[in-house]
Amino acid sequence: MLSPLYLVAAALAASFTLGLLNPKRSGAAYAITLVTLAFMAWVPAGWLWGFMAEGAQPVEIYTAGALPPYAINLRMGLAEAAMTLLITLTGLLSALYLKESLIKLGHRGMAVLMVALMAFCGIVLTRDLFNLFVFFELAAISTAGLILLSEDERALSAGFKYLIVSQLVSTFLLIGILFAYHASGTLNLDTMASARLPHGSAPSFALAFFLMFIALVTELKPFPANGWALDIYESAHPAYSALFSAAAATASLYAVDKLLLVGGPGWYPMATGIGITTFLAANLFALPQGNDRRLLGYSSLAQIGLILVVLGQRDLLGEGTPFIAFGLLVSHAVAKAGLYWLSGLVGGRSLTDWAALRGRPLLVFAFISFVAMLTSLPPFPGFYAKWELVRVLAGEGRLALLALILIGALVEAGYLFRWFGYMLKREAPAEAVNGEPHQVVPVYVAVLAGWVLGYFWGELSGVGLGHHNLLLSLPLAFALGFLLLDWLPAWVKNTLAITGMVAFFFLTYAEYDPLRLIFALIFLIGGAITLLASYDAHGRRIGFYPAAMLMYAGMVMLVRANDSFEFFAAWELLTLGSYFLILRGKHSEPHALSYILFSLGGAFLILAGFALAAGGAAQFPITALGQVAPAVAPWVFLLLATGFMTKTAAIGLHIWLPGAHAEAETDVSPMVSGILLKAGLFGLFVLLMAMGKQRLYGVELTHVLLWVAAFTALLGNLMAVFQEDAKRLLAYSSIGQMGYALFGLALMNHLGWLMALMFVINHYIYKSMLFLSVGGVAKRTGTREMYRMGGLIRLMPLSFIAVLIGIIAISGVPPLSGFGGRWIFYNAILASDYRLPMVILFLAGPVAFLYLFRLIHSIFLGQLKDELRRVKEAPFWIALPQMLYVGLLLAFALAPGLALRRVDTYLNLFFPEGGLHWEGFEITSDYGYWNPVAIMIVVAVIFVSLFAWLLFVNRRAQKVKQFNIVFSAERPFRPETTHFAWNFFAPYRKALGFLVQPYATTFWGALTDFLHTAGDLARRLYDGNGQSYALHFLAFVVIVFGVGV
Amino acid sequence: MIHLAMATGFLLILIGFYGAVSNRNILRMIVAFTIADSGVNLVIVAIGYMPGRTAPILDATVKAGYAAARIIDPVPQALVLTAIVIGVGVTALMLAYAYKLYEKKRSLDIAKFTELRG
Amino acid sequence: MVKRLGALLLLLAIGGIFTSLLVGYVPDTELNDTARYYAYHTAADIGSANIVTAIVITYRGLDTLGEVTVLFLAAAILGLVLARGRRQAQARRALTPVGELLTTGSRVLVPLIMLLGVYVFINGHLTPGGGFQGGAVIASGVLLLLLAGPRKPFAHSLIAAVESLAGVFYVVIGLMGLVLAGGFLDSRVLPLGVLGALFSAGTIPIIYTLIGLKVGAEFSVMLSDLAETEELG
Repeated sequence: MLSPLYLVAAALAASFTLGLLNPKRSGAAYAITLVTLAFMAWVPAGWLWGFMAEGAQPVEIYTAGALPPYAINLRMGLAEAAMTLLITLTGLLSALYLKESLIKLGHRGMAVLMVALMAFCGIVLTRDLFNLFVFFELAAISTAGLILLSEDERALSAGFKYLIVSQLVSTFLLIGILFAYHASGTLNLDTMASARLPHGSAPSFALAFFLMFIALVTELKPFPANGWALDIYESAHPAYSALFSAAAATASLYAVDKLLLVGGPGWYPMATGIGITTFLAANLFALPQGNDRRLLGYSSLAQIGLILVVLGQRDLLGEGTPFIAFGLLVSHAVAKAGLYWLSGLVGGRSLTDWAALRGRPLLVFAFISFVAMLTSLPPFPGFYAKWELVRVLAGEGRLALLALILIGALVEAGYLFRWFGYMLKREAPAEAVNGEPHQVVPVYVAVLAGWVLGYFWGELSGVGLGHHNLLLSLPLAFALGFLLLDWLPAWVKNTLAITGMVAFFFLTYAEYDPLRLIFALIFLIGGAITLLASYDAHGRRIGFYPAAMLMYAGMVMLVRANDSFEFFAAWELLTLGSYFLILRGKHSEPHALSYILFSLGGAFLILAGFALAAGGAAQFPITALGQVAPAVAPWVFLLLATGFMTKTAAIGLHIWLPGAHAEAETDVSPMVSGILLKAGLFGLFVLLMAMGKQRLYGVELTHVLLWVAAFTALLGNLMAVFQEDAKRLLAYSSIGQMGYALFGLALMNHLGWLMALMFVINHYIYKSMLFLSVGGVAKRTGTREMYRMGGLIRLMPLSFIAVLIGIIAISGVPPLSGFGGRWIFYNAILASDYRLPMVILFLAGPVAFLYLFRLIHSIFLGQLKDELRRVKEAPFWIALPQMLYVGLLLAFALAPGLALRRVDTYLNLFFPEGGLHWEGFEITSDYGYWNPVAIMIVVAVIFVSLFAWLLFVNRRAQKVKQFNIVFSAERPFRPETTHFAWNFFAPYRKALGFLVQPYATTFWGALTDFLHTAGDLARRLYDGNGQSYALHFLAFVVIVFGVGV
Repeated sequence: MIHLAMATGFLLILIGFYGAVSNRNILRMIVAFTIADSGVNLVIVAIGYMPGRTAPILDATVKAGYAAARIIDPVPQALVLTAIVIGVGVTALMLAYAYKLYEKKRSLDIAKFTELRG
Repeated sequence: MVKRLGALLLLLAIGGIFTSLLVGYVPDTELNDTARYYAYHTAADIGSANIVTAIVITYRGLDTLGEVTVLFLAAAILGLVLARGRRQAQARRALTPVGELLTTGSRVLVPLIMLLGVYVFINGHLTPGGGFQGGAVIASGVLLLLLAGPRKPFAHSLIAAVESLAGVFYVVIGLMGLVLAGGFLDSRVLPLGVLGALFSAGTIPIIYTLIGLKVGAEFSVMLSDLAETEELG
């Protein structure tokens, strides 16, 4: 292991030597630069290996042959090795990226770059305060130099603004250092820390420390003293911005961390306060931002602010601080460097210009990997860090801080995912991506590093906290494997996917309890059946399988989760996968965004709920939810239930669903509706099973759920009634159906639960089937508007059968399984005490008839449109699963016991009272009996007789052809208004329309508008004038002094 | 006496700062910063001063063995050297910036360089 | 106006912070631990009569290496920026001729100034002074030259070579300390000699010479760069 002094010496020697070269030999100078940078990276790499693999101990490196505190010393420990490696690698890759630019600038430019990196490393390594100042000045000067050498003319003024502020900063820093020296008699950080007097007893030292602290913190670009940083990020060459964001920020963070060591815990609140303010403000200001590099700049400020919060919470986090701080830091550094490098490949500076990347799937993958890293999604290091941070904060009761962090993170996810949507969905600019190999390689290295670090953090979290490494879990590995196989044709991947899912089910089915078995069946086997429809797709279908498999992997992991960590990780994975799936739809960009935001919001509630429940414990089995302390239990319940209800689209939180489900691709709609919604129900099952009834301020929470459920059912159905778009109609219908299921659960009795489970199964079958049939019809007719269809019964008989069976099942009339659900439901209601919400639920029933009727009536019956005369039946692979579903529905209708009997027994564990009695085909409850087979026969007989009679009566009816009608001479402005199937239920709308006004949509829309406007107004603070920025800094100093000291 | 020197230093810093934030001419701002720099250096030197002692150089009057009782604190003296040199470097860099800025817009008014904002 | 008022108020508050520093400041009556160590050990360990020099070059040598690098950076950046500017400002206006007084005066003074500069950095370990001061003195001689003969060709490549080599040798001597003595920049690679003699204090005189040359060269380059681009406007 080479002394890190060689790192410093190499950088300087190379910089000085370059001056001896003939200025025309720029190529040679560039080669020397690369070799030197590689050497500089190799030194800490050796140390890191030594610390990690060989168990080496941290080393003090002395200079000048004297011991500290009398001479300057450096330290090389695990943290230092990791950070200097991060810095030097970023530098090496940036130098690679900058090839043309550096060769053009010549040896002096390269020297400045090397000195900059050496200075960043020096900041990390040194243990001497004044030496820290020297390295900071070196960093500042070389940074300003690099900015000066950027190609963008505007960088000039940005660099000057930076120099103005750094002059002020270094003044404070120097005065602080000298007074600290005077007060403590030393410049050595460790000696000063051990000589530290109790806080408050040495006012001059405290004052000196404040000056040093505020100066170093300003290097982290805190709000509001950060206008200069944004200007730099926007205008500097992206490779330099990558350096500033990744390397310089790393160094400055560590400097602040070292300084906090001297200051002690008394200064932690100040760090936290500055950090959280910056985090929130930067994220808010980023929201209305349209320039990509400035947006990344805001995001950088926010991330660094968050890490500062972590440092400020050291008193709670203790030994765990590095795990969290580094997890966030490496995620930030790798992702930000990668994104800045990417931004150099994109020609335009508007966010929508990134659509140019769309033609390069690997770069798209890189982009989304970076976004996932920044938003702390699994399996990246930030995810583990986020989990740990939230766990500790909640455990120690710092809930306000926790809430602020989560709010900020949600805003950040908002603008990052919005950007991703632009990239995939907006019109690509004519100018294609110009990726030279030396510019693309750094991006790929960053992606790879991100994934490797994700694996590594998984291992760390396994060692320290006993969590499983997510990347080692079989379902996730299987899903990620499709990334490598994406070059295969779609049908091969489809076969692989189906085989994998079925095989996994058969490998594991013995491990599930009856309740989980039902969910596993739906997720795995149900998912496989739905995937049959995907055989219809041609080509390679890039991106579909990784996304779909990610969603299924998440759902399987959810069912298999034992503790809250696994559960939450699975939840985020399935959310992410389904988001990608939904985003694939042609017009789904805004809907996918609202989906991911609601889902992440819900996920954060779940995260907070689990953390609150765990009370700081590292391991928290799901079953332990039942033993949560009574003081917090209702809050945990509220958080978790609300989180799960965002996924089941309970009223108020439902606005993402219609668009997301309706705009998805034909085979995706059944997945995200028929299958994905069940994840939310599963969560509610688990929650209610463990926690039961909870009271908050005397209100029984399950009772509240009951009301929510009833309104969800009624309003969901009502909204479905007024849709013209067939897929939207089905989507709204899902909201209503989920209301029913939630209602059953909230009844908190045996039959209620059984009914909910019945809905789980039924809804999976018929909603998948209906989405497929309607999707098939839409595919053939080219429209989803029902009034544009009509008379398709002869042309698409299979789809007709599927829809007919489906709506009979949904509407809950005999003989199909929907009736079974209703039957159990009525029994459940009789067994329960809540009558009022039930009335509402009853109302919802007939409303369902109205919209279901339209599906048959407007699509398949009536007159065939002329332009649809040549329409064919849905493609084979879309029709096949529908027929399978028909078979399944009939089977489940005849013998519900196959699925439910074991569950019924299992539910006795929780509700010993009120179970059903199963005997042969007959099912008996306390209130009556139900024999599905008998009912089926009776209904069949009635139907056949009626049908025969009708045929007989109408045998001589005259068939009216479409063109037998005479039109009047008028040509209406909106032709659809004259169509009888348009606005079919207008009278009802008149009567009940007030119930379906988009209050929720208006509310959420107003909230986002407000945030945008606030951000837009507030960022005018940054007026671009260097003197204003100087004043901001002075104001920052004065405010922090006033508030903190 | 020391307090007077130190107060002068602080005053110079404040004057420099005021000049830097109230003068719109970039060259004047740079001059203002050099004033502030001098203030800082004055404060640094003042911190190390001890009444009645001599410079930290060993010679016939200050013998090696008795130096501790005769000399002032040498550390701030060493530090101020570094601080001065760094100040020179930064000033040179700012002048380079001023040159480039002037070349770009033919103006040295800081308020004219606000194309980046928000 | 509002801005100025705000600035005044803010500076008033900052002044308040400074005032409390000032009021809280009590001069030491005894050397603190660090300073006492230097007072006791410099003569024996480093062999430099000027304690400040021992601190600057040896004990806090890493700072000084950084300092040298700061100047190097400033010169490099200035060179890059002005070199680009130079190309744009090709057309030169006629200069007023330099006076006889200046020309003759510079002929007399420049060698003396150079000599003084060398004296200052070679004796850095004995008297107040050192490489930075000496280098600055040398550069002032160069300035005089530039004033006396602004159109004279300036030996850029020679000066650049001096600057680079001085820098490289400085780093190499530092590394020799790491290998041969107690650590990076340890000046005891060479014998300490007699306290107060010119050839004493290990490598300190060599380092200060290198620094003197380097600083002198850097300042000269900066000055000539600035001089050659003054026509802008």
